[in-house]
Amino acid sequence: MTPNTDERIASVIRALTEVILPQLPPEASLAQEQLHLSVGHLQILRAQFDAIPGYEREELDDAVAIGIALQAGVFGGSATQQALTAIGTAVAAADGSNVRGQRQAIHDAIDTLVRAVSADGDAQGKSALRAIILKQEHARAQKDRKWFAPFGFDTL
Amino acid sequence: MTALMDMEAVNRRILDRRLANRSLPPYRAALTSEITEMLSGFFDTARPGATISGVRRVGGGASKEQFFFTLADTGPDTGGTEQYLLRMDPRLAITETDRGREFTLLQAMRGVVPVPEAVWVDANADFFPQPAAIMKVVTGVTKPSDAGIKVSGLGTWLGPDLRAKLRDQFMDHLVTIHGFDWRAAEMPGYEVPDADAKQAARWSYNYWRDLWQIDDGKARPIISLAEQWLADNMPDCSELVLTHGDYRTGNYLFEEASGRVTALLDWELARIGDYHEDLAWVLMQVFGTFDNGTFRASDLFEREDFIRTYEQRSGRSVNRQTLHYYDVMSSWKCYIITAANGMAAARSQHNHQDVLLTFLATTNAMFADDLVRLLADDSAQGDAA
Repeated sequence: MTPNTDERIASVIRALTEVILPQLPPEASLAQEQLHLSVGHLQILRAQFDAIPGYEREELDDAVAIGIALQAGVFGGSATQQALTAIGTAVAAADGSNVRGQRQAIHDAIDTLVRAVSADGDAQGKSALRAIILKQEHARAQKDRKWFAPFGFDTL
Repeated sequence: MTALMDMEAVNRRILDRRLANRSLPPYRAALTSEITEMLSGFFDTARPGATISGVRRVGGGASKEQFFFTLADTGPDTGGTEQYLLRMDPRLAITETDRGREFTLLQAMRGVVPVPEAVWVDANADFFPQPAAIMKVVTGVTKPSDAGIKVSGLGTWLGPDLRAKLRDQFMDHLVTIHGFDWRAAEMPGYEVPDADAKQAARWSYNYWRDLWQIDDGKARPIISLAEQWLADNMPDCSELVLTHGDYRTGNYLFEEASGRVTALLDWELARIGDYHEDLAWVLMQVFGTFDNGTFRASDLFEREDFIRTYEQRSGRSVNRQTLHYYDVMSSWKCYIITAANGMAAARSQHNHQDVLLTFLATTNAMFADDLVRLLADDSAQGDAA
């Protein structure tokens, strides 16, 4: 592909920083701020562009893993069982054809499960739910923090 | 009213307004020329004969549209020139609040702690296109001039000299706010969560949960778990105080040379509530610094030092379980603010700085990780899922 994505983003960054930014008057503080942030976004997008599909696929894989772990480890009353069935359906549908939508469908089903377990889960089920979510989300949060570290907020 | 609906009336109105605003057309940043025209029109009525000049935008904030301007008044009783600040809501903000409520509080706090003098308010956007307030300008900075570019003052490094000058003031002002006699004050619209001991926590929880829902927050397992834990573990409030709601470095002005605090800012989240809610907010890692692995809240106090000093100065005891509850709530609120409220404003094009809001949203990974750490803490284990 000519020009490739990297070359296209690089040219936009250069236009913004070397042509447009110098033309902004000093009093245009909001415009300057927004332009700096836009360039920052583009630089990070440029650096991460090739890795984005893999990152989003891994998000879906992690959602599937937590869904499967919850199905195997959590028990409870009828509301809990119904929520677990919904997780199973969402997990089974996660074929990667729509990574964001399928990940969110699993997360939505887990949200329902959390409420259901609070309503009719037994002590063991509550403990298992908590342990599984904390373990899986710890790993997910580390990946996300690393991914977003270039934005400069994180003290990781 | 069910417990799930229980919240201050003003917050219910704010939520209703946010929901209603979703269908409005896109919003764009106001031009300086438009603001000049609006201000001139406003003062034609509010201060006939006065003239407006020097309108310029204030940078750095993440929430409101703010402009400095000069008001020259030639009237016999009010002659002179003075600097003012116009603070106006965008159509949808990262924190949805009420200008009239903030105005009321700024007036109540005059002479109690240093605050800007609020002079005019247009709480219902009767004149300005959005709710707005006008206050006198206070001199000072929110961060040292050599602190570099920081979005919204997060993680500001003060350095040892300023730290030494600011820490006692920071603590004393917080203790003064919490000791303020709100029962004797004129604060219309501020309701008191005293129906039962858990109402203070319940009002906060309900408001932020509804904000999450209204802004279509995307479910994530740790957020679901945190929300349920907060619902199941609400603490009793031992003493109702006035809370600031967003007390941290970045939300006060100080003179750089002397280190004197000249004004406490951003009172929009203030309410009558539990002082632990303020303490936990101060202790949020995102508002502090790490120095060789040592965390300092607002770059002023290490965690235990902050708690101990607060107890000594205020005479109150800090209940560690209650503080833990509000630690969890603070991280949950920050996640809601950045991942749901900010992103809803950006997606709907109802804000003047979408690109900043999407930048800030990247912090939600930190808040998710905070929640994992906090909920994994043994002391967090209650009767919840």
